[in-house]
Amino acid sequence: MKITWRMWLVFAVVLACFLVIFVNQDGITFMQKGVLIKGVEDNSTIFNAGLRSGQILLSINGEPIQKMADYTKALSPYSLLKNETMKITLTTKTGEIISLVDSDIVNQISIAEISKTRIKTGLDIRGGARALVTAKDYKLSDSELDDLIAISQERLNIYGLSDLSIRKQSDSSGNRYMIVEIAGSSPKDLEELLGKQGKFEAKIGNDTVFQGGKEDITYVGRSGQDAGIYQCSQSSATQYVCMFRFSISINGNTADHYAQVTKDIPVNISNPGYLSKTIDFYLDDKLTDSLLISVDLKGSSSTQHSIQGSGVGATQQEAYEDAKMNMKKLQTVLITGSLPYKLEIVKIDRISPILGDVFTKTIISAGIVAFLGVSLIVFLRYRRIKISIIMLGIVLAEVLMILGFSALMNANLDLAGIAGIIAAIGTGVDDQLVIVDESRRGKDETMKQRIKNALFIIFAAFATAVASLFPLFYAGAGLLKGFAITSLVGITAGVFITRPAFADIVNQLEEH
Amino acid sequence: MLLIPVILVLLSLAYIGYFYSQNNDFFHRDVSLTGGTSVTIATQVSASELKAMLSSEFPDIDIRTLSDNSGKQTHLLITVPDEKAKIVSALEKALNLTLTEENSSIEFTSGNLGKDFYSQLLKAMLFAFLLMALVIFITFGESEKIKFFTAMLTLTAAKITFPTVSAIGIFAVLFSLGIFFYGLFKIKEKQGKLILLGILVLSGIIFFFPYYFLIWPITLAVIVLYTYYSAPSIAVITCAFADIVMTVAIVNLLGMSISSGGIVAFLMLIGYSVDTDVLLTTRVLRRKHESINHAAFGAFKTGITMSLTAIAAVLIALFMAYRFETVLNQIFTIIAIGLFFDIFNTWCTNVWIIKWFAETRKAEI
Repeated sequence: MKITWRMWLVFAVVLACFLVIFVNQDGITFMQKGVLIKGVEDNSTIFNAGLRSGQILLSINGEPIQKMADYTKALSPYSLLKNETMKITLTTKTGEIISLVDSDIVNQISIAEISKTRIKTGLDIRGGARALVTAKDYKLSDSELDDLIAISQERLNIYGLSDLSIRKQSDSSGNRYMIVEIAGSSPKDLEELLGKQGKFEAKIGNDTVFQGGKEDITYVGRSGQDAGIYQCSQSSATQYVCMFRFSISINGNTADHYAQVTKDIPVNISNPGYLSKTIDFYLDDKLTDSLLISVDLKGSSSTQHSIQGSGVGATQQEAYEDAKMNMKKLQTVLITGSLPYKLEIVKIDRISPILGDVFTKTIISAGIVAFLGVSLIVFLRYRRIKISIIMLGIVLAEVLMILGFSALMNANLDLAGIAGIIAAIGTGVDDQLVIVDESRRGKDETMKQRIKNALFIIFAAFATAVASLFPLFYAGAGLLKGFAITSLVGITAGVFITRPAFADIVNQLEEH
Repeated sequence: MLLIPVILVLLSLAYIGYFYSQNNDFFHRDVSLTGGTSVTIATQVSASELKAMLSSEFPDIDIRTLSDNSGKQTHLLITVPDEKAKIVSALEKALNLTLTEENSSIEFTSGNLGKDFYSQLLKAMLFAFLLMALVIFITFGESEKIKFFTAMLTLTAAKITFPTVSAIGIFAVLFSLGIFFYGLFKIKEKQGKLILLGILVLSGIIFFFPYYFLIWPITLAVIVLYTYYSAPSIAVITCAFADIVMTVAIVNLLGMSISSGGIVAFLMLIGYSVDTDVLLTTRVLRRKHESINHAAFGAFKTGITMSLTAIAAVLIALFMAYRFETVLNQIFTIIAIGLFFDIFNTWCTNVWIIKWFAETRKAEI
């Protein structure tokens, strides 16, 4: 068989797709050893020893680490430690880290297996959370949406989420949305974090003395001496309370205003260490806490203040966690300030990653079986092994091209995308059937003419498919875009790359 | 031959009409299009037990069982038209556990967003139909003048369907002007040029007032033009329409609730349906020395293989991934039903129209 330039083109594109799917800066993806360090707690012992997220961990104390189970096993002796330290040797791609660590190390590092390909699966398969946020009873402008995204990004960063993407999306009715996607596990209070306007006000009586955001607040303490839980106690038979406290700095003008307001407040007669009015903290117009004001702050323009609050729970541990969470929330809005409108979460999906794993495997095997089923029908129809195998090879090439494209674009392959691949395969097989049948039809036309007829049919069908898919880019907040993208890429690659090559092959096969 | 499909389409339409009068909608919509929450929980509590516990608080609750390969229950899929927080706390109380990422997945869509999705997807579908019809008409239609008219009308429909998408607006304006000038150059008679100018002025006005109801006169106008000027085009369009109508009727009979993915399946169906029709039309109309029957039969042999491979692939995938109860189930089911009807509509109805057209055209020549 003579190999035409069209066939060479298919080979070249398939090869390029292989490279895109299976090769990254560290070499061939499925041959890489070790696990990926996804996160290391800031200022932990192991962090200070040099471990950072993004490094590849090869072994612990000489034991090679290939998968999650190896890692858990290698760390198990450390989890049993009680108030003592033990030496650990971590070998990463960049070097060796030796340190003395305690049992906390187990919680300080999070790891993930290195993915076998560069194809990223969507949240609905791999698990994670996705939220669509928009303003309540208000149409956001494009720049307002940018502001919303900037503030949300800052709020989520405070929570230390690494695998996070925020993007804007508008739909065909002119609504604008912020789409937040967090892979893997996400904070429990994500909804509150995203949906809150985040208006923080500190009031004394009816006077607002300061508000959240950079205008009034120059510094928010978040760790060490500046922030923490300082007291836990049992408040009733079934409830525990933990108190938190963190310090903030306010700017000079705000401090002067504070002095102005407190100057005239009389001292509380029954509790003479404090003033007779409290300072009240409001979060989104809801009173969250009231603090007594110490007498020495009366009329003082001190820029140092302390914010306090509490958390409750059925056990001390729960109360502690609750207090920690409330503290973080308050710190977040104090840093980022308020949005000028109320927000609404119009859609939120949290997909468990566990189902995702089994599902991916099933989808792959379903793909293979469906492929075999189609092969069987094609073989039964033509009874010619050569042409059937070539047809199926072409289908595989097209699937590779779709996957290669999505790896190249760094796109997330979600369920809609998988449906799109299936649609593209269906169209691909259909078109090849047309080519083969057209080429074998009647001998009164030249082979070239017959192939031309086939390509005409294919092109007309292609144009209608494009026409019917294109509205999906805009409708439904673009959530079904994945379908349109994969099927369009598939049929386009088909029409312009694989079909002409296939026509050449059939041309040669049928002429002999 | 033609009578059976016509009766079936009429029956389907009558049933959908009846369904509409009962439910005030063309089909049942699931929570992704109406708003509500669906929760998947790993639990061994049976669906009926859980339903008994929750049905007083959630009268519209729907609970389905998900099982593994051996048929053992692994998860329950709970769907309610309510807010997320309400059902989550009720489930936590009923099952006495805390819902976490390890044991559950939750999807919530607000009522407004669901309604928006629904209307946008329906509008997108109508527009896809118009666009597809235009492509078919440009491919198979004979009157060049009418191609200019309908192309401009379809671009106006694009503006009406996506009034706020500026990229489409700019595209539509540029293309309308391009078509207009090219049309002035191509169309020889004065009357045609005047009509073209009329359409340009009309769409210019509509561009500033893109009210959605204007889509209906445009749709009607292009359909009348296609019917009058190109029987093959209208046959292709009718066939795709019949596929969808019959499939919707069956989907309703099965009691399925359509999700946003289901609507995508209908879009896919249009694409597949057109494939076989284009094949048939091309073979019959562009044949050289063959008899019409011979050409149609050749097309049938190819077309039936096309449909069968697609149905086989979809059914196998459906069978294997069914237990996950994902949106793919619905997509595959709808496509399988639709492709089945497409075989019927293409090779009973369409083939008849095309043959009739080819024969009368031959007589004219």
